Amino acid sequence: MNKQQGNFFSDTLVMTKRSIVTILRNPLIFIPNLAISMFFLFVYEAGLSGIANLPAFEGANYLAFILPVSIVSAAIGGAGGAGQALVKDLDNGFFSRLLLTPSSRLAIVLGPIIAGMLQLVIQAGLIICVGFFLGLEVAGGALGVVVVLLLTLGWGLAFAGYSVGVALRAKNAQSAQAGTFIFFPLIFLSTTFVPYELIDAAWLKVAASINPVTYLFEAMRTVLIDGFTDTWPIVLGFLVIAGLCGITITFSAVSAKKAVSTD
Amino acid sequence: MNGTIHVENIEKTFKGDVKAVRGVSFNVADGEFFAFLGPNGAGKSTTVQLLTTLLKPTSGKLEVAGYDVNKDPEKVRLSIGVALQETGIDPDLKGRELLEFQARLFGFSKKEAKKRAEELLELVGLTEDADRLSGKYSGGMRRRLDLAMTLVHQPKILFLDEPTTGLDPANRKAIWREIKRLNKEEGTTIFLTTQYLEEADQLADRISIINKGQIVATGTPAELKRTLGFDAIVLQFDEEDEAISAYEAVASDEYQTERVKNDVTILAENGTSILADVIRKLDERNLHPAQLNVKPPSLDDVFIQVTNEQKEGGLNE
Repeated sequence: MNKQQGNFFSDTLVMTKRSIVTILRNPLIFIPNLAISMFFLFVYEAGLSGIANLPAFEGANYLAFILPVSIVSAAIGGAGGAGQALVKDLDNGFFSRLLLTPSSRLAIVLGPIIAGMLQLVIQAGLIICVGFFLGLEVAGGALGVVVVLLLTLGWGLAFAGYSVGVALRAKNAQSAQAGTFIFFPLIFLSTTFVPYELIDAAWLKVAASINPVTYLFEAMRTVLIDGFTDTWPIVLGFLVIAGLCGITITFSAVSAKKAVSTD
Repeated sequence: MNGTIHVENIEKTFKGDVKAVRGVSFNVADGEFFAFLGPNGAGKSTTVQLLTTLLKPTSGKLEVAGYDVNKDPEKVRLSIGVALQETGIDPDLKGRELLEFQARLFGFSKKEAKKRAEELLELVGLTEDADRLSGKYSGGMRRRLDLAMTLVHQPKILFLDEPTTGLDPANRKAIWREIKRLNKEEGTTIFLTTQYLEEADQLADRISIINKGQIVATGTPAELKRTLGFDAIVLQFDEEDEAISAYEAVASDEYQTERVKNDVTILAENGTSILADVIRKLDERNLHPAQLNVKPPSLDDVFIQVTNEQKEGGLNE
């Protein structure tokens, strides 16, 4: 008899591959996501670039400043799609079949999470390309681009983990969608459009300082605008995102165990 | 590892104090074909989910393939194949891809998975449609693919939750043939749930009738028919007075008679043979039923019978 407990890595690989195939077979879901994040980059750059003339910007390129916002907000479609994929699996009974295999619950949730993360990284790559087309200059050079993509990867894992966890708790598309609304306070209660020093309201300063996305923005902006002269914001960004990944992926794996039971 | 199931006094209470399973116990031997027969909402699916690691019982002991379901869910999953009431198919994958995917998760190498998928496609007659998206399959094809996915790792025990509900007769027969073969030729233990008396009768070595979360009767099909196999003669009258008189006229020690308002029901082992007698008795008193029906034992009658006896407290487990 051939049966044996599957290997964690090969299970995760098989699950991820299947999620990617499923995404690619539904282009009408991922193509609008790609388009919308590039649209935001255009709009922010066209409408807000005048802010960069303010002294607090110290002559920085606004495009480099706003690019992280475009990348981070792309997660709602890209990485957030992982949650929608999960709801579909729950609806058509495929998720129960996955739970009946000997694969670990973590491998089962990592499939859609990694696929969502990859989708976000590809989106980010395209956004950076469009950025270069618009005149983006990256102080950190090629290595800087790699660091930004690595940060994106971490953010993608964290956000996809969250959206999968919410989908497993909510079990329907509407509630899962509602769960992604946390994204709005995350992205806007931060140093989204102006640097920390220029935030006026005291409450927003407090919100921004406890918002993990702020550290992600700071890390990406440091690399894009200043390069590697001050590495602490970059390290801090990676630490915060790693912590966030740990929390959200654990949340989704624990939710997977409870997904079918109604107690 | 063996193909046995051992269940001791399991209970499952859902949120809101909904008691889906109330103290169920049974044993299934290695290689046995065992059926759970019951109406919708009897607790059949909940029992399957408890046995297959998808739900945790509120209390009780569950052993499947020799492993404690609570302590060793992974080992249980390796030993069992489960086809739930709702098929578990990703419509965005092709039939062949789904089978290869399933095989990979059960530890097959890429090459082995390919080979196994090919065998199973042949087995369930889907070779020609293997490279079409499963979302485009008909209901019967989806059922067959679902069964094939269940069989990927050659499980020792097969759980089938209402595998033929909603299928046309041809597809139903095809599924029956295959599960019969698995049981007879490969010695697979089978735990099947069904709402159809005929299905349990045709397939199972032993049947438990489950109602409202409890087992109300257990036996071989022949045994159950002996205890429950009554024809029902139903007499309907326009007036309740007539029904009362008719009840007095036909009541006998040889069979069971019941009256509910204008209806008199006679449950007899051989309804047609006493029919003439019943009509003669009614004629003598000049009673004329508005309607008269003779029905073979239906699942409904079995339930009326069993639950009546349950109320009277006179039923064996």
